[in-house]
This record gives sequence, C-alpha cells and structure tokens, in this order.
Amino acid sequence: MSDTFSYFLMAWLDPQLLLLTAVGTLAGIYVGAIPGLSVTMAVSILISFTFSWDINNALALMVGIYVGGVYGGSRTAILLNIPGAPSAVTTAFDGYPLAQRGEAGRAIGLSTVMSVIGGLLGTLVLAGTAPYLADMALEFAPRDYFLIAVLGLLLVSTLSGKSLARGIFSVALGGIIGLVGMDTVTAQPRLTLGSMELLGGIHYVVVMIGLFGAAEAFYQLHNLNQVPIKQKVDKIIPPFKMVLKYLPLSMRTSIIGVVVGALPGTGGDIASLFAYDHAKRTVKNPSSPFGEGAYEGLVAPETANNAAVGGAYVPMLTLGMPGDAVTAVIIGALVIHGLNPGPMLMIETPHIFWFTVGNLALANLFLLLFGLTGIRVFSKVVEVPKALMIPLILVLCVVGTYSINSNMMEVYWMLGFGIFGYWLKVFGFQMGPIILGVILGPLLDETYRQAMSSVGDDAGQFLLALLANPLSLVLTLVIVLVLLSQTPLKPWVRRRLSRQ
Amino acid sequence: MSQKFERVQAGEKVFDWLLLLLSVGVLIEAYRIDGIPGLNSPGSFPMGLALIMLASSLVILASHRYKQRDPKIRNARHELLVFFHQHFQLHIVVFTLFAVAYLAAIVWVSFYVSTFFFLAVMFIYFRQGRVVSSLIIAALAIATIYGLFTLVFRVYLP
Repeated sequence: MSDTFSYFLMAWLDPQLLLLTAVGTLAGIYVGAIPGLSVTMAVSILISFTFSWDINNALALMVGIYVGGVYGGSRTAILLNIPGAPSAVTTAFDGYPLAQRGEAGRAIGLSTVMSVIGGLLGTLVLAGTAPYLADMALEFAPRDYFLIAVLGLLLVSTLSGKSLARGIFSVALGGIIGLVGMDTVTAQPRLTLGSMELLGGIHYVVVMIGLFGAAEAFYQLHNLNQVPIKQKVDKIIPPFKMVLKYLPLSMRTSIIGVVVGALPGTGGDIASLFAYDHAKRTVKNPSSPFGEGAYEGLVAPETANNAAVGGAYVPMLTLGMPGDAVTAVIIGALVIHGLNPGPMLMIETPHIFWFTVGNLALANLFLLLFGLTGIRVFSKVVEVPKALMIPLILVLCVVGTYSINSNMMEVYWMLGFGIFGYWLKVFGFQMGPIILGVILGPLLDETYRQAMSSVGDDAGQFLLALLANPLSLVLTLVIVLVLLSQTPLKPWVRRRLSRQ
Repeated sequence: MSQKFERVQAGEKVFDWLLLLLSVGVLIEAYRIDGIPGLNSPGSFPMGLALIMLASSLVILASHRYKQRDPKIRNARHELLVFFHQHFQLHIVVFTLFAVAYLAAIVWVSFYVSTFFFLAVMFIYFRQGRVVSSLIIAALAIATIYGLFTLVFRVYLP
C-alpha cells in the first residue's frame, strides 16, 4: 500500500516530473486548440524524441499533452467555432453560440472546471478497476486476446468514418502495414516486395507521423486562408453555484465518458457525442435551447471527453489494447522503452501503472490552473497563421522520423504515408483505424497463431473452443452482434417490427 | 418509394477503384509468402487481411449505387476538371513539390541549409511576399530547432 502511494506521488514530489507534467499540460492545451495540430500528432512526434529519456519523464510529458490536448480543443470550439480536436466538435454546438452572446469567458471557465471533474473521475475509475481487470486478464487464453482485438478493431471501424466498409478497409490496411517484415516465428519475409530495406518492417512511429502529421499538414492546405472571428473574453472563473448546478449532469456524463473511452478503439470524440445526446434527452429545461447556447450542451461533452482519457487507459494498461488513437501511440512509447503493456505490466512494473494514475491526476490539476489563466496569451497564439504552421509541421515530421533510427529512407516513407494519408482523408477514410491496425495487426497475428496451435491447427476444434469457453462465447456473440447491427439486416428487422 | 442518395465527390470512384487494385496487389503479395496458406502458417493472417481488404473495397465500390455525383458535374471530363480544381490547387502542388525537393536536398546540402530554404520559400509563397519577416521567422525556426532538438532533446538531426 505504501509502495502504491509512493508511486502515485512520484510525479507530485519530483521537481523534474512536476515540471514536465506542467509543460506537457500547457503545451497540450495549445496543441489541442490550434486547428491543424492534434494530440496524436504531437505524441507521435514526441515518441521519437523521448525514447532515449527515462520512461517516467517521457510518460509525464505525454500524459500532460494528452490531458491538456483533449481539453484544448474546446477553447477554439468556443471562441472561433473551429474545434481544435474531434472530441470538441460537440462543444462548438453550444459553446460558440454562448461566445456570440458575450459569455465566452464563462463558457471557457465552466468547460475547464467540468473537464477537470471528468478527468479526475476517469482517473479514479482507472485506479479502481484496472488492477482487477488485469487480474482477470491473466486468465485469458490467446483466443480471447484475439477476440478482444477483433472486437476493438470492429468497434473502431463501425464508430469512426462514414461507412463500415471504409473502416474495415482501413483497419485491414493498417494490419498489412504492421505485418511487413520478417515473420517473428519462422523469419520468413512477408509483404516485403522483395526489398531488403523492408525486412526489418516499417516502424509504426513512421506510419503515425506520416498519417497524423504530414497528411494533416497537406490536408490543412485546403483552409490556408481561413480567418477566425475573434470573441471578447472576460469573467472566466464560473460561480460556485453554477458549478454545483451542473454537477449531477457532469457526474452522469463522466460515467458515459469513462465507459465509452474504455471500449477499445473508441475515444473522446465518440464519448462526447454520446454525452451530448444524453444531455439532450434527459435535461428537460436547459438554460437555452440546445444548439443555441445551452450550458448543459457544453458541460456534457466537456466532462465526457476528459473522463474518456482515464477510460482509454484501462484497456491499454490491462489488456495492451489501445482505447483510442493516442493510447495506441502511447503503447508504442511503452514498447520502445522495453515495457510490456497488458496484464503483465501490473505485475512486472506496478510503479508504471500507479505513476500514470498519479500523473493523470496531477495533469488534471495543472489543467485547472492553466485553463483558468493566460487566456489573453492564448488568444494570440491560436491566431498563428497556417501559412507559417504548415511548413513547420512538415519540418517537425522530418526531424521526428529521422530521430527514430537516423535513417533517411524512413523519412521518405513518412512523406509517402503523408501523401497517401492525405488522399485517404479527402475521400472519407479515418487515420485512427489504420494506426490501430498497425499496432494490433502483429498482436492479432501472434494470438491467432497461438490459439490455432493450442487446438492442433484444427479449425473445428477452434470453433468448438469459442463455444465451450464462456468468455470466448460472450466475445464471439458481441462481435456477431456488432457486425449484424451494421448490415442491412438491422433496418429490415426494424421495418418488420414497426409493421407489426 | 423515394431513395436517399449520398453525394459522391469528384474522383472518389476512381480512388475506390485504385483501392481495389491495391487490395489485389496485397493479395498477390500475401499469396507469394507461402502459396495457399495453412491455418497456422506465416501467410495465413496476411492472406486473411488481404481478402478483407478486397471484400471491403468491393463493398465500397458497390455502395456507389446509392450515391450520386454533384448535379452540377455534367460529364466525366467535367468531373476530371472539378477534381483537379479541388485537389491540385496551385499552392497544394507547389507545397508537395517543394516538400519532395526538400527531402531530396537534405542529403545533398545538409539539413539546416535545406530546411532554411524550404521554410523561407514556403513562408514567402504562402504569405504572398513579406520577404524580410519570412526570412527572420525561418532563421528563428532553425535556431529553435537546433536549440530544442540538439541541445534539449539530444537527438540526431539529418
């Protein structure tokens, strides 16, 4: 117990870790707020710079950026009607009308306090549930891991993007990219096109920087001359009465955020949509009609997307499955530092788990501090023209990619992925599923082959094992249900029922 | 019965056909690993993923039955023109070409020189002039990159 507590307080008591968490949170707010920059992009690039650091220092910075970034997107959503991050799209629905009414300061203040409440609740749930989940996960067979990974990829395919087929294509494409190189069991070259360069595989950080960094830079060229409308900001700190009034709603939407965030492959954007929908359905007398400046429409998504951060860490730290794109990138960071995300992480390196929990709580407190101050400086910084930002992003991508292995070929690959990612984005494909495919593809391959080996490579026995084991059966049924819910069968059943 | 049609972007169908071609290419490459794979062979999973890519790209192509192109687009030639107008705008083409040239130049003229020229030229081009401020910002950016990455992060730059 005392060890747990000392690990928890590590980031609070070490001045260097404290500083890195503070810098990360502050930087995250700006990264999340500036349209064109994203938390995933920042963390992807950071991995390549921080892999020689001590793991605690690297994690402190990344956790800060993650927490700050999820919140930061709301500021530009309120002030400029431009969500800085996908998780802040719903914040703009009511946040911007509030700013137009001259209540931008109050809206920012309330969203800060609610984000902190959501973030702290998410952290609490992470601390309370993850150790038990990890214990349970130790009992999982390789086929269960395989099924959980399939479920995660299926969820990300269904919940992001404009069609299931596009989502599934993206995930499979990511899996193929992740499998390039030598087979880990037989050392046989796979998907290398006969090239010696590809025998070592394509480093996932190269793919991440290409798809999240360079592709975004190219995509932002479409809005090069977008001029934001400025808003007047005053009275940031919300009255205590106001916070108390919206506390019950924030508690409910925090739970929604944690649960949705914990589903592998989802994230703050989906959590905030669910929470907004919940608020619309349950709040009978909002302060204004929803969509016209209702404080309830601001509170719900803002609490949920920050609560989803803690939720997203649950599957990452207990099962080694990323909760969202950012945790997928953080898994990469843990692996680079020689750690093993999954149930063994809790046994082999419990300090990493409790350090992360303590660090998340600390980052949320810094969020409160930075969220309620420095708004004037912030207003200036987010006005940085894209004409300056886009070339700089590309240079950062080059530096970040080169610093992984000091290999120019990987820089060329990064640009290639950037250009390919641009076209995918143009035609409605999401980058998140591709990255999750890259990370989970090799894991799926490994667990599938282990599961097959355990039943003597007999497909019949494999199917029997799926039906005989309660957990495998439940997971299989959930996968089938998710698939069926996305097929024409669902509308057909609904039509039949409505006729009856 | 009225059927709701989704709008298809100019060039989207061609892109989806290209994805189908990519899927076929991946399938061939997966087949080359060990022919028709066994259930637990190195090629089994890549083959499975390639088949998923192929099936989903066929579904994407089939979904075009429920999509309509913009009524303003008159014919295939007009669609091509709209596509080029949307995605090959001068500043996008210029940035892409300069990005490729920049990466090629890093090896020949060093990272710092090529980065300075890339940033300066792009700033001047995107800001339509303002040469002096663009040069100053590019120089400041180079100094920051050196300070941050070489001195603080201690990483190797190209």
